[in-house]
Amino acid sequence: MNKVKLIYNQTLMISTGILFAMGIRAVVIYFLKGEYMVNWQWYIPISIIIAGFLCALASLILYREDDNKKVNEYATKGIHFVLVCGIVSLCGYIFRWYTNLREYLFIALLYVIIYVCVWVYSIWMFKNDEKIINKAIDEIRDED
Amino acid sequence: MRVEIRQAGTTEEESAIITAVKMTDSIKSAVDILRDNAAGIAVSLGNDTRIIRNDLIYYIESVDKRTYVYTKGECFETKYRLYELQDILGFNFLRCSKAMIVNIRKIRSVRAELNARMSVELLNGERIIISRGYVKELKNKLGV
Repeated sequence: MNKVKLIYNQTLMISTGILFAMGIRAVVIYFLKGEYMVNWQWYIPISIIIAGFLCALASLILYREDDNKKVNEYATKGIHFVLVCGIVSLCGYIFRWYTNLREYLFIALLYVIIYVCVWVYSIWMFKNDEKIINKAIDEIRDED
Repeated sequence: MRVEIRQAGTTEEESAIITAVKMTDSIKSAVDILRDNAAGIAVSLGNDTRIIRNDLIYYIESVDKRTYVYTKGECFETKYRLYELQDILGFNFLRCSKAMIVNIRKIRSVRAELNARMSVELLNGERIIISRGYVKELKNKLGV
């Protein structure tokens, strides 16, 4: 059940992230080329959901029932990064999010920026929790 | 709230009376702390069986369907299962993973890890892990 919930939440978050990235792309194109209209094919919205779902499935490699199992966290993160990059690239190719190398590089750059931002935000949240919990523990801790 | 402490002659005479308009969270916590310090669980070390006070327990671990109780420097076995101990032990005890319960008053500090787990240093220098799913419960118990 936890895995289903995780996939559901991740699909929503990633789909929103992709939508955000495509919105940024439209803004950039407007300022670079002055194009007022963005034409989306009929399959683009569903392609965003499919890509979100596939990326959410990839997140399962970060999920473990037994948190005490010894794994190399950095290697797992690296594999996840490459895997999600592959999924985004493949979806982009199939659904024609990009049509040439320059557009692909732009999408890849957006992906890297969003991925890094998500992790920086997550680490900041974890460290914030650490600070709050340590402060609260100081007040109730038994004497050594 | 006004707090009055009187000197008792013996430990048998020790008691606490709380006069309050209603049972608030802070009063409930105080009651739990007072009860924990007096309550205990049956443990065994070889053929020797004894009652160990809850406030002396650092953490409890389940290994191969056996339950072990760890104090500052000793390890005992108990017949209770973890889920039973969760009910028996008071507010200060947190289920921190599938196989472990920790006394939060024995935590010296926590450190956030990349995967949302918390690495915990206990007052006796031992290190344990709080799984990501239980960090929220720790924060609830600490009121943060």
